[in-house]
Amino acid sequence: MSAGWLVRRVLMALLAAFGVGVLVFALLRLIPGDVVTQLIGLEGNVSAAQQAEMRRLFGLDQPIWMQFLSWFSGLVRGDFGISLRTDRPVFQDLLLRFPVTLELTGLALIFAVLVGLPLGILAALRRGQAADLISSSFVLIGLAAPEFWLAILMILLFSLKLGWFPPNGYVSPTESLTGNLKSLFLPALALSFGLAAATTRIVRASLLDVLSQDYIRTARAKGLSGGAVVVKHALRNALIPVITVIGLQVGSLLGGAVIIEQLFGLPGVGRFALEGINLRDYPVVQGAVLWIAVSYVLVNVVVDVLYGVIDARVTYS
Amino acid sequence: MSRSTLTAPRTLTRRTLTLCTLLGTSLMLAAPGAQAQTSGGVLRAGMQADPVGLDPHVTQATSTRNQLENVYDTLVAFDPSGKIVPSLATRWTTSKDGLTWTFTVRSGVKFHNGRAFEASDVAYSINRIKDPATKSPRSGDFELVKSIAAPNKTKVVFTLSKPFSPLLSKLAFSLNVIVPREAAATLNTKPVGTGPFVFDSYVPQTRMVLKKNPNFWGKDAKGNKLPYLDGITYSYLPDPTARVTALRTGTVDWIEYVPSTGISALKGDANINVLGGPAANYRALFFNVAQKPLDDPKVRRAIAYAINNQEIVDVALLGVGGLASPGTVFPNGSYYAAPDANYGKPNLDKARALLKEAGYPNGFPLELKVTSTYDFLRAPAEIIQAQLAPIGIKVNINALEWSVYLPDVLAKKYTATILGESGQGDPDDYLYTPFASDSGGNLTNFKDATIDKWLDQGRQVSSPAARKKLYVDVQKRLVDLSPMVFLYSSTQYEAARKTVQGYQHFPNTSYIGLRTAWLGK
Repeated sequence: MSAGWLVRRVLMALLAAFGVGVLVFALLRLIPGDVVTQLIGLEGNVSAAQQAEMRRLFGLDQPIWMQFLSWFSGLVRGDFGISLRTDRPVFQDLLLRFPVTLELTGLALIFAVLVGLPLGILAALRRGQAADLISSSFVLIGLAAPEFWLAILMILLFSLKLGWFPPNGYVSPTESLTGNLKSLFLPALALSFGLAAATTRIVRASLLDVLSQDYIRTARAKGLSGGAVVVKHALRNALIPVITVIGLQVGSLLGGAVIIEQLFGLPGVGRFALEGINLRDYPVVQGAVLWIAVSYVLVNVVVDVLYGVIDARVTYS
Repeated sequence: MSRSTLTAPRTLTRRTLTLCTLLGTSLMLAAPGAQAQTSGGVLRAGMQADPVGLDPHVTQATSTRNQLENVYDTLVAFDPSGKIVPSLATRWTTSKDGLTWTFTVRSGVKFHNGRAFEASDVAYSINRIKDPATKSPRSGDFELVKSIAAPNKTKVVFTLSKPFSPLLSKLAFSLNVIVPREAAATLNTKPVGTGPFVFDSYVPQTRMVLKKNPNFWGKDAKGNKLPYLDGITYSYLPDPTARVTALRTGTVDWIEYVPSTGISALKGDANINVLGGPAANYRALFFNVAQKPLDDPKVRRAIAYAINNQEIVDVALLGVGGLASPGTVFPNGSYYAAPDANYGKPNLDKARALLKEAGYPNGFPLELKVTSTYDFLRAPAEIIQAQLAPIGIKVNINALEWSVYLPDVLAKKYTATILGESGQGDPDDYLYTPFASDSGGNLTNFKDATIDKWLDQGRQVSSPAARKKLYVDVQKRLVDLSPMVFLYSSTQYEAARKTVQGYQHFPNTSYIGLRTAWLGK
C-alpha cells in the first residue's frame, strides 16, 4: 500500500469525524431543554431573570454558529471544552475513561473471536451434523438475546449464586491486575455474545463458500492433508469477509458498551456520555460522541490495512 | 421544589418493630444502649448516581446533596421528625415585624482546612447562593433576604424585605451549606466544610472517599464525639439489580434506593436489614388548567371523583410502592396535613353529575403525557385510563423519556401529566411553590386569588398553629378546585448489612443518619 493511499484514507476519516461532530452538535441542540432547565429541574427555585443570566454565563445566549465555532476552534487546538456540570476539562475525563471502554471492548472482541472462529470452523467442517446444530443454536440465541438481559442473568449466576466474580465496580490494572480482569470478565463476556454469534455465522458461511471452490479441490487432489487445506488455503481466503464483519461490529460493541457500563457500574466513555446527555452537558456529549466516532473510524482504517496483509491480491495505490 | 416540614410516617411493619426502636418518628437500627456504641469501620455505600458536580451551591441534585451533606453543615438543621434544630447556629431570634433574624453561631468550629469558622462565613455562603454569577438553582430561596451582616465573629443578622417564615427551612436544606470563602473557587473539585467527614478523593463513576473529621463539633446524646465511622466510601452502581446484588454479596455494606422488586428478596436475607417506608413526597395527576375543558373546576373535580387511589397503589405499584393519598400534598401524619378519608374513593354518580353540569355529559378525549423513565410515574397511566373510561373520558397516553419530557412540562406543554414532588422542610414549600399564581414552580397555570392571599399570609405569621389554620383552608380549597388529583406517595428504602448499626432513616431523602452509624463485627 502506498503512503498516498494512507494519507487519503486518513483524510477521509477526518472528514467523517468532522461530519459526526457537526451532526452531534446540531442534534443535541434539537433536544428540548438545556443545562439550565436540567440543573434547576423540578425542585429548583430561580427567577426568570436569574435563569436568563445563567444561560448567559454558560454561553448559551450566543448564536448557534458562534457556539459551534468556539467549540471547533478549541477542538483544533486539542481542547474539548469544560464540562458544564463538573468544571472539569472534558479531554481529561475522556483520557480517564477511554482505557476502560477500550479494555472492555477489546476483551469482548477477543472473547468473540476465541469463541466464534473455532465454532464457525467446526460448524463448516461438520456441516449438518450435531456440532453444526449446536453452533446454529448458539448463533440464534446470541443474536436474539439482548446483552443487558444476558448480563443480569450472568450477575445472578456468577456473582450471587457462585460468587466467582464481583457483581459490579471497576478495579484499575495499576491497582491489581487480577482484580482488573475479574471486574471486566463478566461485562466483556456479556458484551461479546452478539459478536461471537455473528462471527460464528460469518466464519461458517464464508468457509463453506471457499471450501466449494475449485482451488480447494485442486489442493485436495494434489494430496494435501485435510488440515493443511483448511488452514493454509481455505481459512486465509475465508477471513476477508470475517474481518469486514468484525470491523463493522466494533461499532455495535461500542454502542453496547454504553449499556454494559451502566449495568456493571464501569467508568467508561459510554456512561460518561449518558450522564452528559441527561444534564444537557453539551461539551461532554460532543466530546464523548466524537471520541467514539473517531475510534470507530480508526478501526475501519485498520481493517482496510489488514485486508492487504491477509490477502496479497488486495493492494492500494 | 417543596422542602417542607414533615412529620414522619408512622407506618411500621411488625418485622421492623421487633428490630427497631421508635426514635422520634424515624427508625434506628438496634436499640440505643442495647449494645455499647463502638466507633469505627469504613462504610462502603452503594449509590445510584454520581454527584452532579461537587459544589453544593450550584446543583440541585439529590446525589450531590446525599454524598456531601456529611462533609458540610447548615446554619440550622432538620431532625428526623422534620423539626428545626440548631446546627452551626446555636440559637436565633426574630424581630417583632419578622424582618430581622439574628443568629448566634457556634464557636470553636473549624473548617477542614484548619481555619476557624465565624459568622462572616454564613454571610458569605448565603450571598454566594444569591449571586447570579454562582449560577445556583436556589437563588430564589433567599430572594427576600435584603442583606446579611456579621457584626462580630459570633453574630449574623439577616434583614428581609418581607416577612418570610420559611427562611429557617431554606437554611436547613442541606445543599444550602456553609463554605469557607478561600476555598470557594475550587469547591467543584475539592469540597471543604465543617462536617463530620472530610473529603478525600473522588474518581468519577468509580468512587468517592470520605475520612473521619477528628475535630468535628457534634456529639451524641451521651456526649460522645461524632462521627463513629472512620470513613465512608461511596461507589456508583446505577443498575438496581446490580446494587441489590452488591449488597447481598457483601461488596458494599449499605445501599440507597432499593427497588420495590428487590425489597422482598432483601427482607428474606438473614444478613440484611431493610430500612425506610413512606417518604415525604406526593404524586398527582396534574392538569393544565389553561386548557379547555380542564379550565372548569367541575370537570377537574369530576375526574378526581372517578379515580380510585387504592387501586393505583395495589395494581400499578404492585402493593409495595406507595400509600394512597388522602387528598393532600402533605405526607401522612404531617402536622399541617388536612387529610380527607373519602378522597380517592370513586363516586361515579357525582363524577357524572359534575360533568353534566359542566356541559360534558358524554365526556371528552384527554391527552395524558407521562415519562417512561420512572415506573412509578408511568405505571398509573393505564389504570387512570381504565378508571376514567366509565365517565366517558377517553385517555390517550403519550410516554416520553424523562430528559425530553421534563422541558415540555416545565414549559407547560401538556394537557395532563403524572408528576410528583418531594418535600423537605416548610409547609410553604409544599403549597406555595406548586399553587401560588406567581410561583415559578406552578406547572398547572392554576391561579386563585383566595389561595394566593392565604399563602401570602402563611409566610407572614410564624406561629405554627396560626399557619396550620391557613394551610388547612388552602388544602380544602385545593380539593374543591382540583388543579391536581392527588394519587399517592412513594416509599423509599435503604438497605444495609446487619453489621451496620446506628443508622437512622430520614424520610426526606437525607443521609444525615450516617453521622451516628458504625460497623459492628
